[in-house]
Amino acid sequence: MKNWLAGMVLPVLLMFPFVVFAGVPLDTVKANANDVLDTLRDPKLQGEAGKKAKEQRIEAAADKLFDYVELSKRTLGLNWNKFTPEQRKEFVQLFRSILRDAYVEKIASYSDEKVEFTKEVPLSEDTVEVQSMVTSKTWQMPIYYRTIKRDNQWKTYDVVIEGVSLVSNYRTQFREILGNNPPETLLETLRKKGAKR
Amino acid sequence: MSLQRRDLRRMRVQEWLLCPLLLMALSLLFSPMHVRAADDPDPVAGVEEEQTGEVAPNPPSFTEKASDEYGNVTEEDAGVEGPRIADPIEPWNRAMYHVNDKLYFWLLKPVARGYKYVVPESFRGLFSNFYQNLKAPVRIVNNLLQWKPRYAGRELARFFINSTIGVGGLRDCATECFGINGRDADFGQTLGKYGVGLGFYIVWPVFGPSSPRDTIGMVADGALTPTTYVGSQQMSPERVGLYAHEKINYTSFHLGDYEALKGAAIDPYVAMRDAYVQYRKKALGQ
Repeated sequence: MKNWLAGMVLPVLLMFPFVVFAGVPLDTVKANANDVLDTLRDPKLQGEAGKKAKEQRIEAAADKLFDYVELSKRTLGLNWNKFTPEQRKEFVQLFRSILRDAYVEKIASYSDEKVEFTKEVPLSEDTVEVQSMVTSKTWQMPIYYRTIKRDNQWKTYDVVIEGVSLVSNYRTQFREILGNNPPETLLETLRKKGAKR
Repeated sequence: MSLQRRDLRRMRVQEWLLCPLLLMALSLLFSPMHVRAADDPDPVAGVEEEQTGEVAPNPPSFTEKASDEYGNVTEEDAGVEGPRIADPIEPWNRAMYHVNDKLYFWLLKPVARGYKYVVPESFRGLFSNFYQNLKAPVRIVNNLLQWKPRYAGRELARFFINSTIGVGGLRDCATECFGINGRDADFGQTLGKYGVGLGFYIVWPVFGPSSPRDTIGMVADGALTPTTYVGSQQMSPERVGLYAHEKINYTSFHLGDYEALKGAAIDPYVAMRDAYVQYRKKALGQ
């Protein structure tokens, strides 16, 4: 009887810190994502006139959601160490604006999609994957946010859409450029890309 | 546009799948490390050497100016490398990538936009269900081959329900009325489960990113799809028309996706190749 009781209680006790620890990353991502969704549905921001304000608010939410430095480090991998501190700062800024240009418009075009945050999966001691499912009338798309604990805040450093990691995808592209070229070449490519818009 | 998102509706995860899923996520995270270590140790070693060579002359500038946040990374912080694929026929692939790109912008996109404008969303949804239902044999057989009889049974049940109550597959009544979810499966994935690797990267005109393994998979799955047998010859107008309509109908729901992927990329060709490899790797974990 006692053994049976211990067998029941112990797992529950062991789970406790885990349960407390859970929740926070998911809530953080959820709050910021809901911020974006509220912006999308704000009746005051409809139409062409509201477009600019809409995009600004999405960007502000994105800045709270992402840790662009962590994102940049993981995208460059060990190549990051080849960059001087000034180049690193410039890279983070350029990369941030490229991501913004690419995705804010796309996100702003969404309106009636439903987002559900399903669960979180610990990846390591200080990283957690927050899983969500975006549902429209005809399709579903799993989007996972990989978050890291920085100064007691959970910040996203990678987004995995349908199994495709954003960081991995850029990492492959940057690796090919940095394979035969100095960091300056990559920065120049990014500058040109930013200026195109 | 070429990465088909087959039947995502079926992907809702059951609770009892929680454990394998966790393992899957973990294995996804750790396995690329081994792949990388075995495949290609050179770049990392090269970087480390260069880096120490670079840093040594003036370490103060690095340590003083850079705040901790912008400091050097160790191999551990740098995160894991993603999966890779060999690309021995890159010139052909790049050429075909451009062909498909033009096909999309000059043909598929304008046609799909017009189609979207003319055909109401509800109708397009019915067509989408219809084509999805026709591919049930592919999912049934491959779930069996992957030794997932439970899912094969579900797909069979879905096929019967949707073909009858769902009026020839126009409605997905299995999901909507009965809540029966299936599992997507294809022959390329089956081969992968039996240990066959992707091989190398091939871009086919019209069909898009593939590999020798997935090309065999595509042909085998085609043999199990009823639309393949419409019409009397290989390129009969009926067969081509059906394929085109399916593609246009699908694209009408995904306008802007390819543009976003391409617009976000630094090298769109490499971005597509990597997305293909990651996507197919994920299919193996499921």
